[in-house]
Parts: sequence; C-alpha cells; structure tokens
Amino acid sequence: MKSYHQKKTKKRTYFLAFFFILWLGVLALRLVQLQVIDHVKLKAEAIQQNQKIQKIEPKRGSIFDRNMTILARSVPRYSVFFHPLENESHSEQWSRAKKIGQTLRLSSSKLSTIRAKINKDDNFIWLARKIEEQKATQVLNMNINGIFLMEENKRFYPQGNRAAHVLGRVDIDEIGVSGIEYKYNTILQGIEGEGLILRDAKRRRYSFETLKPPVDGKDLVLTLDETIQYIAEKELKNAVLQSQAEWGTVIISEPSTGDILALANYPTYDLNHLPNPPTRLDRNKAVHHTYDPGSTFKIITLSAALENKSVGFEETFDCTQGYVVYAGNTFWDHERLGILSFPEVFIHSSNVGTIFIGQRVGDENLCRTIKQFGFGQRTGIDLPAEERGLLNPLERWTKISVASHSIGYEISVTPIQMLQTLNIIANQGVIVPPRAVKKIHDTEMEALSPLPYKKAISEETAANVRNILLGVVASGTGVTAQIPGYAIYGKTGTAQKYDRKTKQYLTTAHIASFAGVVENDRPLFSMIVVIDDPKGHYYGSQVAAPVFREIAKKILRYLCVPPAKKSLDTLIASKAGKQSNE
Amino acid sequence: MVRKKFGKKEIFIGIACTLFALLMLSLYVWHQTESVSLGYDSAELEYRVIQLEKEVEKLETVKSSLLTLDRVENIARDKLKLSEPEEEQIVYEDIEKER
Repeated sequence: MKSYHQKKTKKRTYFLAFFFILWLGVLALRLVQLQVIDHVKLKAEAIQQNQKIQKIEPKRGSIFDRNMTILARSVPRYSVFFHPLENESHSEQWSRAKKIGQTLRLSSSKLSTIRAKINKDDNFIWLARKIEEQKATQVLNMNINGIFLMEENKRFYPQGNRAAHVLGRVDIDEIGVSGIEYKYNTILQGIEGEGLILRDAKRRRYSFETLKPPVDGKDLVLTLDETIQYIAEKELKNAVLQSQAEWGTVIISEPSTGDILALANYPTYDLNHLPNPPTRLDRNKAVHHTYDPGSTFKIITLSAALENKSVGFEETFDCTQGYVVYAGNTFWDHERLGILSFPEVFIHSSNVGTIFIGQRVGDENLCRTIKQFGFGQRTGIDLPAEERGLLNPLERWTKISVASHSIGYEISVTPIQMLQTLNIIANQGVIVPPRAVKKIHDTEMEALSPLPYKKAISEETAANVRNILLGVVASGTGVTAQIPGYAIYGKTGTAQKYDRKTKQYLTTAHIASFAGVVENDRPLFSMIVVIDDPKGHYYGSQVAAPVFREIAKKILRYLCVPPAKKSLDTLIASKAGKQSNE
Repeated sequence: MVRKKFGKKEIFIGIACTLFALLMLSLYVWHQTESVSLGYDSAELEYRVIQLEKEVEKLETVKSSLLTLDRVENIARDKLKLSEPEEEQIVYEDIEKER
C-alpha cells in the first residue's frame, strides 16, 4: 500500500509534469508563431533593425572661374525633421515641435504650417532645412525624442553677388533654377547612389557596403575672370547709381574665342541671401532684354555699304540741315554736322548721313546683312533664356523701314547680339559664338568642342569698318572712351525708349550704350555697356563710353598691357636694362 | 565493474587535445571579435575621412570667401590706407622683354 506521502509526491509530479508540458507546448506554439506564421514579417523587422539601405546623395559639382577661383560649391549643412512617437497625441507632438521651433526662431507662418501637418498625421515633417552648424548643435543638445538631424548639402557662393546672373541659383533641393546652375543642371547634379548599413544590437554601425556608388556632379570651369568681373560690376554699379538709371549691363568678351570674361548686371543680388521673391532680379538682361540699339547699329549699315560697295570712301553727304524727311517722317541729327565724308558720317554718328547711305544700300541688302550678323537669331551663348530679338522679315518692311533700320530703330536686339557684332569686326568677319563655360572639369579635363564658325562679312569689309570705328574713338562721338596709348574702336549709341503701351518712342527716356574693342597686336577684349534710362546726361558718349574707358583701363592694368606709345615723362620708374626703346 | 585506468601518455594526449580544441575555439572567437572590432574601426575611419574631406572643402570655401576682391579692397583702402596708383606710377615689368 502506497503511503500518503508517495501519493502526494506522485500527484505533485503529474501536476508539475502537466505544467511543464503545457509550458513546453506554449513555447512550441510561440516558436511556430515566430518561425512560421510571422516569419516574413519578423525577418523584415530584423533586417530593418540590423540593416538599412541608405541613399547616398551625390555631391553637386562646383563652379570655378577660368583661374580656378571657387564661384559656387555645395557645403554640408544639417536639416531638422520631426517624427511623431507611438500613441502620441497631436498636442504632445505640437509641444515637442514648438520647443525646437522656438530654438530655431521659426516664423509664425512656418510654425502654423508645421501644426497643420501634425494635425494631418504626417509622419515626416521638416522643421528647418540647411541650418547653421551652431543651431544644429543646439538642437542636438536639446535631446528631444523624435527630432532628428539629417546631413544635406547647401549651395554656397563664396563671392556673394559676384556674377550672380551668370551663375544663377538653385532651389532648396539643389536643383538649378536659373543661370549656369539651370543650364548645366544635369552635369552638375550627378546621380544618386545606394549603400547598405549593418548595425549591431545597440544599433551601432559596424559595416557599410556601397551597393550603387553615387556619381558626383562634374565641376564646371567658366570663361569668366573673377577680377574682370569684379571691375565690371564695380564700375557698372557706380555708373547706374550716378546717372540714376533704371539698370545697366556690361559684357566683356575675348573676340577670338567668344569667351565671356565678365557679364554684369545692376541691380543685382547676393546669391547667399536671395531677395523675396527671388525671381524679381533673376533676369539676365545681357541676354534676355531686347531694346532698340540706336546708333551702335550703324555698324551694320556701314558694313552693308562696304560689303555691297554701295558707297565710295570719297563720297560726301550733305547733313547741313540737321534733319531729313523720309517717307513722311523727320529724322534729326544731334547737331548740324555740315557736309560729311562717308567715314565722317559714322565718326560723328549722323542719322541724316546714315539714312542717305542706308537708302543707297537698299532694303534687301541691308536686311541680308542684318541677318548675316545674326540678328533675329540667338547667338548660341550657353546661358538660359536668351532672346532672339526682333527683326521683321523683308516682306513686312514699310517705306520707312530702311531708314529706321539704318539708324538702329524698328529692330530689337540684346546686348550680347550687339557685342557679337563687334566681335565679328574684330575677328575679320568671322562669327565666333559667345560661350560662358570653358571646360567640364573631370578627371580628364574635357574641353567643350567649339561650334563651327561662319563668316558674316569679308575680311576687307571688316578691316575697313574697324578703321572707321577707330576714328569714332579718336575724334568722333566716342572720344570719351579713349585711353592714351591704346588702340580702341567702337560706336556710341543713344536710343529713345519704345513705350509698348502707347506704341511710341519716348523723347524723355533713353538707352545709352557703347560697344567697342581694345586692341594690342591683336584684339584683346570687346565690351558693351548699356545704361537704361539715365537721368540728366543721356548720350552714350556721356554715360556709357566713360564706363567703358574706366573698365578698360583697369583691365589693361590687370592684364599687364602697357600703353603702346610710352614716353619718358609718363614712365617714371623702370628696372634698369628693361626699359623699352619705343 | 572495474574502471579502466588511463596511462600517463593517454592522459597527456587527452589534455593536449582538449587544450588544442580550446585554443582553436579561442582563436576562432578572437578572430571573430577582432574582425568585428576592425569593422568598427574601419567604418569609423572611413566616416572620419569623409568628414575631413568635407572639412577641407569647407575651409577652402571659407578661404575663398575671405579673399573676395571687394573685401580685400576694403581692407586695403580702409585699414591699410592704400590707394590706386596713378598711371605714371605703374611699371610694367618684364612685359617689354616678353615682347
């Protein structure tokens, strides 16, 4: 007979065995649940905890000037974003976000946008993007749950407002929206990559494997020269402010290559502190704005006359009246100029004489020459939003058109087109398209292939035009552009502004311009200065030509080009044995 | 039942085998630990290289912004009281020779 204790022990053993088996059963079921039923989900969770695919942002290419001065570069910055915690009410979320908002001094409108997003149950909310390092540290030190920092790149322009209209700008996501940044966005941007991060149980990163390497954007080397750009911007600003003009633009180029050495507009803006709205000053007037060029366009009439041999050098034109009536319209000279020879008509910029010459050239020849110089077409400069200008087809020319076109009216041009005209003369009739980007800077310096060149006029015509334009600066309307010791040729222009509302030319508003070339043994650089609506003095010779002179003087100094005719009284110091015998 | 006695040689071989097995196991564990540890170091160094490269670029950019021509001109004019030279004060060195 079993004792009481034996029975009790047996009962306890069964009891324990039952619970043990039950426990094992539960464990087994749990294992089945984990390993079989929830396998896919849990595996994914484990991978998520242990592994992370991370996008690798490519670095946007930098932009340099021709001497490798940095003009634009992307630098790392932190962005702050907000992620709601589990079972957190909207008000709790808002109080967390608000704390950061106060630290970052976010505007009330920004804060209300964040609040609206919280109320919409957004899982990812940007609080601030691309903030200063100091502020990012402040946020990090606050150690608030659900507030994260993400490293991004921010475009930085070390030179501030230098060449703002050429460089253009990018949006918050580093996508180009204007200028070179827009035109070459695909090259600068690069291609996003992917990487695999492995983390341990403490979520420490112990391995990083690049799955798809990012392709960084390529660097661009511009044709601009930072120093020349600085000189142009500074002098242009002074001129616009002094003359109380609406705006002004200066373009400087190297005729033989078409390289743009400087392109300045005023007013301008600081690329690191954009005006609001930024589009207000975005327009690059040098390539975008069209205007009636006035007398600078007489270069085309002069070229047409010489190319078609319509007028002889020895011929004279009677400009004594100071005006001419043509097809019922009266055209005036700025003063009575008397009887002028063919070159003198251009040297003294006589409208009357030029109209006589234009008549002799004829509308067909004049229109053809205008087209040969590329008016009515884009120059092909690698900057966005270039305008074609306005050139009416010959069929739409009226009786007055030949006279108007001869003196630069009834046609709209851009400053870059006018500069190209001077470059054609400097290049002995060859059209060399202007360009702003010199190289795509890669491991192998990849030079951009030049476009095929065309010829606009003959070498002989170009040489004769050049000689007459030398006279403009030596003794004509362009004397204010003169720099002693240097060969300069060019043409002044003073055009009445066209009012699109009243469809009439205004007698009270003008565009003053001067386009010219500075030569040494070869053409060194060409330049156009356009000043819109100057107050007080408004002639190109009074407003634009002096700006040309000041800029040219400083560039010549910068390029170390001494005056050709040096005399001992102008040269007070020179190293022994190095003095020229000139 | 009589328990079999092992000889000294057998005991020595047994201990040696056990020690060898322990050594191999230790080596394996050490190797694994070292690999993970080197992984940490390598990841940290790679990260540091990237950070330093970024720092160099940042400093280059800062240098460039400190050397902007308007800033240099302002310092030259205001602090150093320099002014632009007159035309006759300019000497074009070596230009004649190059010509």
